[in-house]
Amino acid sequence: MIQRSARLPIRPGRVCMLSLVWYSATMFAQSPGGTGPAHVIHILGFQDIPNNAGGELSIQEDALQFRRSQGPAARISINSIQNVSLGALDKQVGGVPMAVGRAATPFGGGRVIGLFSHKKYDTLTVEYTDTNGGLHGAVFQLDKGQAQLIKNKLTKPVALETKNENN
Amino acid sequence: MRTIRTAFAVAILAVLPTAQTGLFAESSGAKSSTPRDIWIVGRWSVQVDKVDPGAVSLDPAFAAAIYENLLDELAKTKRFKQVFRSGDRKATELHDLLILKTTVQQYTPGSETRRAVTTVSGATKLNVRSQLRTPQGQVVLERVINGNVRFFGGNLRATHNLARNVADTIRHSTLPQPAPAVAESED
Repeated sequence: MIQRSARLPIRPGRVCMLSLVWYSATMFAQSPGGTGPAHVIHILGFQDIPNNAGGELSIQEDALQFRRSQGPAARISINSIQNVSLGALDKQVGGVPMAVGRAATPFGGGRVIGLFSHKKYDTLTVEYTDTNGGLHGAVFQLDKGQAQLIKNKLTKPVALETKNENN
Repeated sequence: MRTIRTAFAVAILAVLPTAQTGLFAESSGAKSSTPRDIWIVGRWSVQVDKVDPGAVSLDPAFAAAIYENLLDELAKTKRFKQVFRSGDRKATELHDLLILKTTVQQYTPGSETRRAVTTVSGATKLNVRSQLRTPQGQVVLERVINGNVRFFGGNLRATHNLARNVADTIRHSTLPQPAPAVAESED
């Protein structure tokens, strides 16, 4: 009897299933179908934002805006954008601490970790001109699938959008 | 006989550090004799042109990253009076302007994961032809430069390494003096 009462009230299998369902729900909630700002990493080239800064990229009226958690937002006019292109990036996750950990793992274990500790990202390259006509190239790193959505929004003809709004 | 050998070995060990010091002194002397003054007397301005991918299918992020890194690295060299972006209207009025044209000749896309797993493979390699031209089209400097990432860092780090190599090459090259400005009174 004592042994029976010591059992866990929730079975581990159910816990796993519930965790899986919750994880899937969260993933769908964060899926690129959302219209909100996309969390991105600014790799380089957008205004005065430092390289590898994290923030949110969104389209506000007629501007593309990058907002960091702290500090003012940087924005460029959509009309100044010359070209938008997509790319793919396969990166090791964990940064320097993970790299050090991999190197310190004995018996070649770091290589095995390296085999699984990578993630695919999208890159969004935005070419735009400043007020003097100088060309800028900004590169952002986004979660897979999000770059296409932003590109679609950016390349959508503004004239058509305004026409629809008037009707 | 053994004593002679020992004495000989000691003599070599005594002479070796002195010789090395001399060697280093010579090399540092050679470095300091680079004609830095020439840069200050007649300095050009430079306009970085958009990267030409040539016949290579280059990821657009790489082209943009090379361009932006070139602007940063050239500004760091302090060799040029001003560094302009492609299409900048302020550059059109200058008489002492050079245009940096970069054409990609070879691009080997690497993989950070392959580098992490195998160490020896997965390198990202870039090979470009860099030309400094006058607005009239005269080539002042032409070099073929590489930028690679072999061990640590993401693939885009190759663009940073490339830009640094281009800037280093230009920094250590001797450029002709810019032609003096034509006075307006002569017109």
